[in-house]
Amino acid sequence: MNIGSLISALPGAVAQGLIWGIMAIGVYLTYKVLDIADLTVDGTMATGGAVCVMMLLNGANLWLAILCAVLAGMIAGLVTGIFHTAMGIPAILAGILTQLSLYSVNLAIMGFKANQGINFRTTRILISSRNVKVIGFENPIFIMIIVTALLIGVLYWFFGTELGASLRATGSNEHMARAQGINVNVSKIIGLMISNGIVALSSALYSQYQGAVDVNMGRGGIVIGLAAVIISSVIFGKIFHNFALKLMGVSLGAVIYYIVIQIVLWMGLNTNMLKLLSALVVAVFLAIPYWKGKFTKGARHA
Amino acid sequence: MKKTLIICLALIMCLTCSTVFAGGSSEKAAKTTYNVGICQFVQHVALDAATQGFEDAIIEALGKDNVKFNYQNASADMATVTTIINSLVSDKVDLILANATPPLQSAASATDTIPILGTSITDYATALGMPLDGTGATGINVSGACDLAPLDKQADMIKELFPNAKTVGLLYCSAEANSIYQITEMEKYLDKLGIKHTRYAFTDSNDVASVTQSACSACDVIYIPTDNTAASCTEAIRNVVEPAKVPVVAGEEGICSGCGVATLTISYYDLGYTTGKMAVQILANGADVSKMPIEYAANPIKKYNAELCKSLGISIPSDYTAI
Repeated sequence: MNIGSLISALPGAVAQGLIWGIMAIGVYLTYKVLDIADLTVDGTMATGGAVCVMMLLNGANLWLAILCAVLAGMIAGLVTGIFHTAMGIPAILAGILTQLSLYSVNLAIMGFKANQGINFRTTRILISSRNVKVIGFENPIFIMIIVTALLIGVLYWFFGTELGASLRATGSNEHMARAQGINVNVSKIIGLMISNGIVALSSALYSQYQGAVDVNMGRGGIVIGLAAVIISSVIFGKIFHNFALKLMGVSLGAVIYYIVIQIVLWMGLNTNMLKLLSALVVAVFLAIPYWKGKFTKGARHA
Repeated sequence: MKKTLIICLALIMCLTCSTVFAGGSSEKAAKTTYNVGICQFVQHVALDAATQGFEDAIIEALGKDNVKFNYQNASADMATVTTIINSLVSDKVDLILANATPPLQSAASATDTIPILGTSITDYATALGMPLDGTGATGINVSGACDLAPLDKQADMIKELFPNAKTVGLLYCSAEANSIYQITEMEKYLDKLGIKHTRYAFTDSNDVASVTQSACSACDVIYIPTDNTAASCTEAIRNVVEPAKVPVVAGEEGICSGCGVATLTISYYDLGYTTGKMAVQILANGADVSKMPIEYAANPIKKYNAELCKSLGISIPSDYTAI
């Protein structure tokens, strides 16, 4: 085991972590702020890439393609929101339904192909895994830090507005929020739209980074997103109180997740066991707050 | 204070877990000449055979001690593919074998210097999002072997075995790019032969049985391409087609032995072996990967499933081999 090969693999892990960190911020908004477990994201994580790649291949402007990807994700969130609020379907089931239907929608977007490559040699794209060690503006890590910072800035501003505050109120106490005259259904729909729009942004960037979009790209994505959210709340929960810092912590959580995976691969883990390990990492981080509670309680009694 | 302690404990736990799982793959650190990274997309009989053939061809040509394989399997997870490819590229391996389409795309995106060979890939142009040049080479640091079975001959086979068939049901998984490509090509050949055809796409293993059921009720013959999901659900398909007395012509041997009557098959081991020989050209003889044309599998073989043919009462011509 050569430590040099681990270090040289780290930039790739950080870049991938930052891209998934955007997705994790989307998950954080529904899971923590809005208190909804939204499973739509497994589908949206492919939708954004599908829209972006297909538009780029048809000669669209790069920024327009990314914008349309975000809008497509927001529509997916809108559908889940309508399922949940107007049709009374429990949130988790509404998400599963949208995710299921997105499979067909994604195929249709991709012209009924399951997988479509996009090539940095022939198409202008924003980020590519090829540049991960290049020093300059095209470095994915540099680009992702800027994108993440911009996103956090916009979200910080939004959640400070009256509308944003009503979203947070809906998540923390739905009945109280309703009593204050907030239309909680509208809040939930807007929250789901924003969240899925962000996930689609991550998807659009990720498909460019890895050079392809695949209809199964988002499968299991929610686990990575939740892992990032949980890792960040365990590690940074006591340090980061400011909302912007919390979002940054989520992004760092995703980076830590991918660094752990990279270390594990470097240690020569049989990759067939990787899914088991991912589950264990999440389980350990989920258990820490619980153990911590027991530990402190025990100490007090002693 | 406690917090730091807990974080440390958690980290130690993670590391211990991973050391426990860290197994044999990194043990053979003998003196080696060539480092070859292998990224296989999913655990699958055909892909395993291709990897095996690839390794055997290289070991035969260069000797066991002169090459070190770093084999990684992504368990069908796109994010893991990216991570694995990132490791291989930063390890500066001498060559990357991308076994199936997603690793090929990820590798082509991650490096434009390390030679990349693909295997078990049906359509390089779509996978890479760029056309091949006139000689059938990619013009970039990618080449490899193509697993496309001769579809025209498979269509002829349907006609030969079932001359009275009116409608052929095309059964495949809509998530697999390779299958969709083959089905589209197959439709053209069936059109030429004047046989009607209908698509029956399933999403995953959960709806295989019901989609097969509807294909059985409307078609005389079913055709299944080299579809990974179908390959893992042959028992479920057989439980529907056998009672319905509908014969299945399959694109590869694994599916045929599970639920089909006949196939015109390529060997994935041979395909991997062909890829391995290309790798030797690149590693030992300094061939330029960007100028190597994509290679195709040679010598497809006609095979039949004796047991199912008997049960369905189908007589098979003598030039077919029993599986």
